Amino acid sequence: MLIALLSIGIGATILAGLVTIYVDVPRQMGAQFRSFGANMLILSDGEKGMSKAQLDKALENIPAGQLVGAAPYRYVRVDMTTRQQSFTAAGTDFDQITKTSPYFSIEGRYPENPREVLVGKEIAETIGIREGSGMELTWQPAAGETAGDPSGDRQPGAILSGSAEGWSGGTVYVTVKLDDSSRIASLTIDAGTQTPEIGGLTQTDDSFNSQFVGKSLPLTLGEDVDALSGATITSTAVVEALNTARNTQSAGTAMTIKYTVTGILATGGEEESYVFMSLEDMAGLTGSDAVDVAELSVSASAEELETYAEQITENTDGVRARLVKRVTRSETAVLGKLQSLVFLVTAVVLILTMICVSTTMMAVVSERRREIGLRKALGASDGSIRTEFLGEGMFLGLLGGVLGAVLGFAFAQVVSVNVFGSSITFQPLLLPTAVIVSMGVAALSCLQPIKRAVAIDPAIVLKDE
Amino acid sequence: MSLLELKNVSKIYGDLKALDSVNVHVDKGEWVAIMGPSGSGKSTMMNIIGCMDRPTYGEVLLDGVDIAKESSKKLTDIRRDKIGLIFQQFHMVNYLTAVENVMVSQYYHSMPDEQEALEALGRVGLRERAHHLPSQLSGGEQQRVCVARALINHPELILADEPTGNLDEANENIVLDLFAQLHAEGTTLIVVTHDPEVADAAQRTIVLEHGKVAREVINEHFDEQQKEWLARLKTENKRVMPV
Ligand SMILES: Nc1ncnc2c1ncn2[C@@H]1O[C@H](COP(=O)(O)OP(=O)(O)OP(=O)(O)O)[C@@H](O)[C@H]1O
Ligand SMILES: [Mg+2]
Repeated sequence: MLIALLSIGIGATILAGLVTIYVDVPRQMGAQFRSFGANMLILSDGEKGMSKAQLDKALENIPAGQLVGAAPYRYVRVDMTTRQQSFTAAGTDFDQITKTSPYFSIEGRYPENPREVLVGKEIAETIGIREGSGMELTWQPAAGETAGDPSGDRQPGAILSGSAEGWSGGTVYVTVKLDDSSRIASLTIDAGTQTPEIGGLTQTDDSFNSQFVGKSLPLTLGEDVDALSGATITSTAVVEALNTARNTQSAGTAMTIKYTVTGILATGGEEESYVFMSLEDMAGLTGSDAVDVAELSVSASAEELETYAEQITENTDGVRARLVKRVTRSETAVLGKLQSLVFLVTAVVLILTMICVSTTMMAVVSERRREIGLRKALGASDGSIRTEFLGEGMFLGLLGGVLGAVLGFAFAQVVSVNVFGSSITFQPLLLPTAVIVSMGVAALSCLQPIKRAVAIDPAIVLKDE
Repeated sequence: MSLLELKNVSKIYGDLKALDSVNVHVDKGEWVAIMGPSGSGKSTMMNIIGCMDRPTYGEVLLDGVDIAKESSKKLTDIRRDKIGLIFQQFHMVNYLTAVENVMVSQYYHSMPDEQEALEALGRVGLRERAHHLPSQLSGGEQQRVCVARALINHPELILADEPTGNLDEANENIVLDLFAQLHAEGTTLIVVTHDPEVADAAQRTIVLEHGKVAREVINEHFDEQQKEWLARLKTENKRVMPV
């Protein structure tokens, strides 16, 4: 009896658990699949890539609630001359990467400061680089990409970076963006290696920084701009870095910048052979903040995705969107497979439960055959024997169902927390469903034993055994 | 008046004739013993009379109804309404108390009535043991519970197959006392026994041999015997049940 109860209980537990997970899984799966990568790409129509403004405009076509993340990428070829190696460097937005590619596994941390990079595992292994190592990368503009003109002035709108030695051997970095007439539009100074007060001042002191705006390179300290009081060496280095930037990057010459590796990236994919840096650093290296592609993770059905992609292509100039078919399709396919798997497992579990309950009830009947015979001899009709056993079975089903619903929910909760990393809410319908199903199963499994019980000959009570 | 009539009843198992053209007649209120060696067909006959089996050939008239031809559902009804059964092995439901065992019989017949069941136990002298489990009762006590169970629904016919087979002399006498009382009430009794003393208590003994009625013995002293029994019961201050 206890065994029958247990088996119904376990059956109902597994049933309730699976159903709970099943109901909850599409929700979970959505999030899960998004973690396998982006499901939409936004690409530039032209050769030059798209601007930040274009990308933002494109993203307006997707409701904010459904846009999980949008990671822009700019890919260039860079050389590591010290090792005579050459890799692909990708400029991106690390905040977005954590949303569109949560499966990125990093040893170390994501870059947070200027001139920090994330290095793919494959590269790291090839050149023996570790977290904290330094890495000098050189960008060599291709013939067509040459930004400078013969006069040595950068094209309007270009971004220049340069460095120079400052106080006590520390390096000062500067990045400027030129306006339409090749004058300085904005300027960032990184003097973190200088004494802390001055390092801080170069970032916050508007009167020092703002005097550069509107000027054309090259500059002379004391004539075009004034030194920061008490930091002549650092100020000199800033100006020198600006002039170096102009000179080295003009006329298509190479740009070399030293980076610090903050982490090693393992993805199991081609990303392992890339070097990742922020878009700002990429702009510093190449002089352009254009983006080649943006990977989007959108929480939407296949049809919705299709619509969004069409809208983006239609509404945004110079940009087109397409779906990453592999992921969206496999999402649907896997869900379908999961559904049949759950049905299959449920059916198998129910059949096993039935067999177990049936066997136990069979044993109960044969154990109690004398009693059943006696009851019949005392006048029990077949009907009342049937009712008695069915009642017993249904009661088992009821108990088992309640037990199963509770345990099953707990089971589903554990599975959900462990597999999907999120908890699930109790479905109120689960209890009646589990109870009805297990009572049904119990009733079905009692059919054969009841048949056996009804067939017992009352005359056995007259036989001495 | 006739209660039971077996006409040319045969029960055949393969080539074994457990009963072979048996003719038996029992009147209402009669107390009949059935004797015979082992395998002579006594239990087979009891099964047929008790509506738990059908003869291969022949008619079995119980209250004028040929039970050989009734459906098994009808047989269950007849058994429940007209017959009380007592077995050699007692057969109590081992997880139910004495009074609950009596009530099982009431349950299938009509409605369980604990008061009535307790009274029936009182009649077999087990009022105080009513809430004991079978395992807490002696064999004699269990058999008395079974007698109480058999008579609770006031059957016309009580069938007892070796009721004293597992009892000692003292308990055998108690059961015979109860039979005497039932007889005094007018209940028809058919008792299968190996024990000549038990058979001698009856009005008439039918002896079976090889599935045939070998002979019938009338107990000439039954009336005196019965008077003596009742007198003795009175002096022992045992209540004779009202008819
Ligand atoms: N179901 C059966 N199938 C085959 N043979 C049976 C069956 N029931 C009884 N018999 C046979 O019928 C014969 C009569 O059996 P029965 O039980 O009536 O004997 P009995 O007189 O009650 O014997 P005992 O005094 O030992 O109880 C026996 O030979 C027995 O083996
Ligand atoms: Mg027998």
